[in-house]
Amino acid sequence: MKRICLIVVTGALIVAGCGSSSKSSSTGTSAGSGSGSGHVNITLWHGYTDVEGTAIKALAKEFNATHPNITVTPQFYGNSDYALQKVLAAIAGGKPPDISYLYGSWAANIATNPTTVNLAPYIAKDPSWNWNDFWQAARNVTTVNGKIIGVPALIDNLALVYNKKLFAQAGIPLPTANWTWTDFENAAIKLTDPSKKQFGWAYVNDASEDTVWRFWAMLWQAGGSILSPDGKQAAFDSPAGLKAMTLLQTLAKHNSIYFDDGSDVYPGVFNSGHIGMLWTGPWDLSQITGHQPYGVSTLPADQNHQTISGPDNWVVFNNGAARVNAAITFLKWFTSPKIDLKWATMTGDLPIRASAAKLPGYQAFVKKYPGIAAWVANLANATQSRPVTTTYPKISTAVGQAVQSVLLGKADPQQALSQAAQQVNGILSAPS
Amino acid sequence: MTARAEVTRPVAYQQPSRWHRIIASEHLAGWAFVAPAVILIAVFALIPIGWSLLLSFQANNLLAPGHYVGLANYKALTKDPQFKSAIGHTIVYTAVFVPISVIGALGLAVALNRKIRGMRFYRLAVFVPLVTSTVATGIVFLWLLDPTFGLVNYVLHALGLPQQKFLQDPNQALYCIVAMTVWGWLGFDVIVYLAALQGIPQDLLEASEIDGASKWATFRSVVLPLLSPATLFLVVWSTINALQLFDEIYVTTHGGPLGATTVLVYYLYQQAFQFFNAGYGAAIAYVLFVGILIITLFQLWVGRRRVYYTS
Repeated sequence: MKRICLIVVTGALIVAGCGSSSKSSSTGTSAGSGSGSGHVNITLWHGYTDVEGTAIKALAKEFNATHPNITVTPQFYGNSDYALQKVLAAIAGGKPPDISYLYGSWAANIATNPTTVNLAPYIAKDPSWNWNDFWQAARNVTTVNGKIIGVPALIDNLALVYNKKLFAQAGIPLPTANWTWTDFENAAIKLTDPSKKQFGWAYVNDASEDTVWRFWAMLWQAGGSILSPDGKQAAFDSPAGLKAMTLLQTLAKHNSIYFDDGSDVYPGVFNSGHIGMLWTGPWDLSQITGHQPYGVSTLPADQNHQTISGPDNWVVFNNGAARVNAAITFLKWFTSPKIDLKWATMTGDLPIRASAAKLPGYQAFVKKYPGIAAWVANLANATQSRPVTTTYPKISTAVGQAVQSVLLGKADPQQALSQAAQQVNGILSAPS
Repeated sequence: MTARAEVTRPVAYQQPSRWHRIIASEHLAGWAFVAPAVILIAVFALIPIGWSLLLSFQANNLLAPGHYVGLANYKALTKDPQFKSAIGHTIVYTAVFVPISVIGALGLAVALNRKIRGMRFYRLAVFVPLVTSTVATGIVFLWLLDPTFGLVNYVLHALGLPQQKFLQDPNQALYCIVAMTVWGWLGFDVIVYLAALQGIPQDLLEASEIDGASKWATFRSVVLPLLSPATLFLVVWSTINALQLFDEIYVTTHGGPLGATTVLVYYLYQQAFQFFNAGYGAAIAYVLFVGILIITLFQLWVGRRRVYYTS
């Protein structure tokens, strides 16, 4: 009995001790935990690591210092690939984050969730958002059936990255902004040398979206489109689609393409001097810097030089009006041209606002990341977007199989296109 | 009579109340001991299992509230050609993987069950792949089997054999996955067989030697029957694992090329988490569950006739 008493007393002391110590240490930030006096705490979920991880913390701190009524706490949710599942679990548990970084390809599905805040009315009544200053491709992905379900978080695009040394060895003039598909095809074939295990080009051939979006860029360059204007029919089974597939087939037949299996091997192979050209985005820039002498150019043209972008969104979830307003205040500040350029300079991401290029700090950004200016300029070629529909993942899978079957020589371009179009029409007409 | 009863039955020995009996019974103590495990299993396994059964009768994308569609998901499965080919790939994989891994493990375990120098090292070498993470194994195999820069094609080239596409060839990919998973899982089977081999009474082996049995005859008629419980366990266990193959596919081929390695669980994952058809995915899970149940019961039924238990 005595012993039990002792345990209870010591236990109580320990608890009391903890309580008092935590109290004293938190007095400095007590404003942060108090919900009174109009102060709002919000959480922001992200998957940033390394440089970006440091940058998001630094900018959140800056925001908190300049906005005494709001405290933003960035929380790392791990790999962005799995963010949706975690956000879903949080919504089901009744405690969604106020803001979350989510892939643009999920936009249409996220829009079906009642907790997702439609930002359209907020943006409509506040012209200082200067919404059209965001690149068009990014704006497209935030918009689902008239709702705006997010603020652009990231924009990228595909440009042509080439190895200058291999071009010189093969005696081919370097790619220019006026390059055509014919120039590209000839160069890719000339750069191919099986005895040296050298390839003209690389293609991600795992039938995933990584396979598909490069095909969409080609389809658009040839003047085609993915779906009919009303979005009810596949439109890629067209002369433009056939042209794009045939280009893939020709290069595959010449063994000019290094097939990446989807585990991102190609940058390493490019760095070792075995690949002449890549169609890739700024995310590979840090990996390929310092290995081979490289240049960056726009993609070659058939009808035009269009490229494709894979933008992502900051999505706001409803935790009450006060927190929604605080979240919107933060996002507006975070994506303002000045902070956007600051973020870009810290991380090497492309600015998501067109006007960021007019700011004085822009030259420092371009200087810090050699080659990045080509990707920024190429954003003007990212005019079209993939359809923002809940069925897009299925469409992507059907087309991925078609592209892969052509690359592996298992199907004719026309045969592959017809089959994929038939599948996509089936997907589009199915009741959801 | 009442007076006598009071005398012979002191208060403390009056018929114990129901509560007392329950508390004193071993049942309760037993349950108390297993309660932590039972609660954890219930929360993390049984409830999700029940919930996914409900889910399989819904059209649900996990984002918006779902609605009940009765058996529609199951009916759609019967008309889904991709589901059928996923079943096909799963069966082929299992039919190749299970015999190779069980027979291979038996051979290795017999080879490792003797006293030679450095035996610990060999046993460790066999076991290491099992504790290596699947992601690491997957990346190593991707590089080994890379058609252009891989070590395997390099060796084939040096031997004057034709170059292969391996994981990039729809006709080879599934068998490459078999090779990879056998390599990765063999260690477990070997450990089980080694333990079983060491449990064989020495006097039986000596008796068979005295009777003049050859080594093969001893193995065939003494060792193998005594190993049969382990064999049954490994066959059942490997089959269940093979039917649920996922990680290796997810890390290496993503179900490709051209869907050649899309096994059932990978197809389920695609439907539930890439296409947002969680209800449909749950229906696939339940079909797989029933399939595994039937196959396992069949194996155990055969086992009851063929397995020799010493006790």
